[in-house]
Amino acid sequence: MGSNEGEPVQMKAQAVTQEMEASVASVLGVLAWEIELAGARCLKLDALIGELMPDMAPEQRAKLLEGLHTVDLLGQQLTSLSAFARHMSEVTPPDATAPVEAAIADMTLGALADRMLTALGGEEKGLNDGDDAGDLDLF
Amino acid sequence: MTREGQGRRVVIVDNDRTVLELLQIRLDLAGYHPLVERTAPAALETIRKMRPAAAIVELDLPAMDGFDLLKALDPRGEGLPCPVLVMARKLGPDDIREAVRLGAKDCMTKPFSGADMLERVSRLFRRPPPSLGTTRAPALV
Repeated sequence: MGSNEGEPVQMKAQAVTQEMEASVASVLGVLAWEIELAGARCLKLDALIGELMPDMAPEQRAKLLEGLHTVDLLGQQLTSLSAFARHMSEVTPPDATAPVEAAIADMTLGALADRMLTALGGEEKGLNDGDDAGDLDLF
Repeated sequence: MTREGQGRRVVIVDNDRTVLELLQIRLDLAGYHPLVERTAPAALETIRKMRPAAAIVELDLPAMDGFDLLKALDPRGEGLPCPVLVMARKLGPDDIREAVRLGAKDCMTKPFSGADMLERVSRLFRRPPPSLGTTRAPALV
């Protein structure tokens, strides 16, 4: 597909440790995908709540409607944020890079971290078999 | 929520799990029946077996890529078994030309929004207006 210019991967071997670097544009692009996915999951939840609604008692339905509204707002917020990240990805200079491994290591959802690492050119660690709940930290 | 998909089967092939899940959810909510595959050989088998209404194919796949998949789906150049929308992070003019030559109906550059993707997919099923005759020009944007 054309050249590799702007592709997510940019590994820089260093003398002592191998610090993985990725172009900022790519990081924003990957972030945009993940936010878009989160927005799509909201839509899914929204549809599910909508399906359950007719079977609810009127007082429960009012509560659920409030929840539905919140989910809808969240979905719209995520879609907007995704568009923003995608746009920023397109206007960020392709030569700007940043280390990403430490930031990914801080992520508490194993499968999500693994997906992002892979998308940025790192090695898959096999945490993708389940849902994102892989390494969920409870606060 | 629109149910424009009418239960049509759509095969999606991409080795990126985020993209796969995103497309799967969006297509499902729009009333399509998405079938996801992570490799071209698996997609080839699914398309042959399930006879989907359309396919969304990432061109940049490991080993057997999207172009190879299109060739395998139509080895004699008689036409693909279903309309195909190809996608890739980088789509140069040569990639687009080659995809169209191999029968792809539309091309989509990543990243794209879920809404954009749905619009492209629904366009795959639209017939050209009678005034355009019977030529099947790809809807490249």
